[in-house]
Amino acid sequence: MSARTRDSLGGRAAVVGIGATEFSKDSGRSELRLAAEAVRAALDDAGLTPADVDGLVTFTMDTSPEITVAQACGMGELSFFSRVHYGGGAACATVQQAALAVATGVAEVVVCYRAFNERSGRRFGSGVRHREPSAEGAALGWTLPFGLLTPASWVAMAAQRYLYTYGLTPEEAFGPVAVTARRHAAANPAAYFHGRPITLADHAASRWIAEPLRLLDCCQETDGGQALVVTSVERARDLPRPPAVIAAAAQGAGRAQEQMTSFYRDDLTGLPEMGVVARQLWRTSGLAPADIEVGILYDHFSPFVLMQLEEFGFCAPGEAAGFVAADRLPLNTHGGQLGEAYLHGMNGVAEAVRQLRGTSVNQVPGASRVLVTAGTGVPTSGLVLTAQG
Amino acid sequence: MGDDDGLDDDLHARLKGYEGRPSTVAGAGRDPVNAPMIRHWCEVLGDTNPAYTGPGATAPPTMLQAWIMAGLSPHTGRARPYEELLALLDEAGCTSIVATDCEQEYLRPLRPGDEVTYDSVIESVSPRKTTKLGTGYFVTTRTDVRVGPDLVGTHRFRVLKYAPARRPAKPPERRPRPVVNRDNAGFWEGVRDHRLLLQRCADCAGLRFPWLPGCADCGCPDWDTVDACGEGTVFSYVVLHHPPFPAFEPPYAIGLVELAEGVRMVSNVVGVPYDKVRIGMPVRLEFRRYDDELVLPVFKGVTA
Amino acid sequence: MNVGDALPPLEIEVTRTLIVAGALASRDYQDVHHDPEAARRKGSPDIFMNILTTNGLVGRYLTDHFGPTAVLRKVAVRLGAPNYPGDTLVLRGRVEAVDGETAVVRVTGDNGIGRHVSGTVTVTVPAGGAR
Repeated sequence: MSARTRDSLGGRAAVVGIGATEFSKDSGRSELRLAAEAVRAALDDAGLTPADVDGLVTFTMDTSPEITVAQACGMGELSFFSRVHYGGGAACATVQQAALAVATGVAEVVVCYRAFNERSGRRFGSGVRHREPSAEGAALGWTLPFGLLTPASWVAMAAQRYLYTYGLTPEEAFGPVAVTARRHAAANPAAYFHGRPITLADHAASRWIAEPLRLLDCCQETDGGQALVVTSVERARDLPRPPAVIAAAAQGAGRAQEQMTSFYRDDLTGLPEMGVVARQLWRTSGLAPADIEVGILYDHFSPFVLMQLEEFGFCAPGEAAGFVAADRLPLNTHGGQLGEAYLHGMNGVAEAVRQLRGTSVNQVPGASRVLVTAGTGVPTSGLVLTAQG
Repeated sequence: MGDDDGLDDDLHARLKGYEGRPSTVAGAGRDPVNAPMIRHWCEVLGDTNPAYTGPGATAPPTMLQAWIMAGLSPHTGRARPYEELLALLDEAGCTSIVATDCEQEYLRPLRPGDEVTYDSVIESVSPRKTTKLGTGYFVTTRTDVRVGPDLVGTHRFRVLKYAPARRPAKPPERRPRPVVNRDNAGFWEGVRDHRLLLQRCADCAGLRFPWLPGCADCGCPDWDTVDACGEGTVFSYVVLHHPPFPAFEPPYAIGLVELAEGVRMVSNVVGVPYDKVRIGMPVRLEFRRYDDELVLPVFKGVTA
Repeated sequence: MNVGDALPPLEIEVTRTLIVAGALASRDYQDVHHDPEAARRKGSPDIFMNILTTNGLVGRYLTDHFGPTAVLRKVAVRLGAPNYPGDTLVLRGRVEAVDGETAVVRVTGDNGIGRHVSGTVTVTVPAGGAR
């Protein structure tokens, strides 16, 4: 079982191109067009053409099928196409899928993409009122009649338990995460909150959404698209940009795992599925928390950033708020999903690539080892990306 | 509310003609001030002021109006001008009435045995106003309450006499439905019978919730059910403020309840203000009907 | 008892029982205070608390705070957002003026919809009677 042994994927493939649309409240165009724009931009960045692509990976939630994106971008035959489930948990796993395909020779150039009008179209934050009686629908059905209907409220249930267990207030625990993201976003011209940093007092004064979560604990729902180009490290050598080598890639689901509502297990103070990811990433990359120079940790809601730091072993359980407040690790240097944009985690992978290239707006000098994670509260995934060494 | 400016309001001109005219002449309280009515009042309002009990008790001053309410019997002393005013309003469709203002002055306390009399005058009638309830007129009366010759209190009272706004016949908003399928139908059948059924693994005897067709601990597909005893504690909770949803009025509390049997379920914590729900709070199962199709197991907070 | 003093808030659970029992204790048999169907026909979503009950609660709020020797002189209230069953009424008060042993207290009562009641109460508290 790969969850127990070092896998052989590490170091075989690299992210060689990144591309995105602008991030906005209203893109004014279709999700398919956003996807195609992001894919073309990523290929340009990689120095490749649509004709070079033979694989596509996206999220099961994406509305633009691989075959349609291929047509809209002028791609030819595809030998690999795949989708990953569980919302934002798919982000890093799309890269893992691409790397698996490339490492095994199933495909040579694979583009991962995610595009949506999540702000001007259907917002996840507007909640769920109905589910079909499938097994998946029934799982969420246990909470709907009681009015627990939104992602913020599902996260808040665990966040409340975390605060209780460690004797923290929402302000001291979650405030530093929001302030850090907005500080980085303020310096990022592509960010939604460019030039708009916040203080701890701003966070504390923002209105309740789902107590203990305030408005400033919640990400910025966004219209936009992001794409990533993955190929083998060998082919990467011939391309213009320095590659971001996929030193390790992992998925993880915990015991008694649910989607956003894993309320029935453990103590609700951690993210066991991220623990599964962490064990594999450390084992395969041979790295430890102290080796990581930048952390891009999925932040649709601030509390789960704390739990991720603890699951990865950057600090002990209950200590992450202090860890963030003390700036012990450069975190979400693009501004995160709280500050840059909510692109289902794909913009975070792009930021990791920029850090390794030395082109981030909040560049960590000489960064060569970056951790990236995907959606939290769901079955998830993660990457360790490294500079060619 | 707003003035319906510019409307030709003949009715208002006629109503204004009643200003200054009596609404009650020589009215008498139905009963003397008495201890049982005082006790009922204090019991309902949770008023434990010792001044209202025992020898030398006084009546709560705010009961002033209660002593002169007609109740279900005919008004005594209702004056003709006031009857006419009400009739005019009724004819104009302003058939409903709601009180909006009350100003009382208490000159001396009332005591059991005091027999009150009163006289009222129509002080003013407002122009036509539109409110959330409907469109109508504010009528202000002033009442002098006496015991014998002594003025003991005054009572200024404003009511809105209005035509109810027509509300579009909209079906009441309903809560989201449970998601029922072949794997969990037994649970919801139990709820309909006011039973909270947990699955019990036929092999390892582990209890589980939510319902699934196999045991997460040992994988055994066979199971039976046991009734939850209904006792539990709040394991975690959320107070939902935004966004609002039909059939729910934020802020409201949703609890993750750990049952005495060790399993958890999401439900509402009821009987406790949303901001008083706490982790560790004991709760007890009850069943509530929300509409003709929906019964839910909810948990009532047990306060010390 | 000084100008600006705030009284601790008093929370009242607005139960259906309180609404109906309050109406009956004040001999107010208007159907909108006990009959939900009738209330709906008259443009209200449910039964609601009558003004006499609100008035009584405001009086209780003051005497609870100032003690049994306090004497209410005037109570003037205006109603706004109705008190429907299931809501919570939170009464708050602040001393607005003091003249010897007599104070004017501004009282507000908010529920989940908005401001249910606002008004003033004039109360005399004999020396040593105030808490």
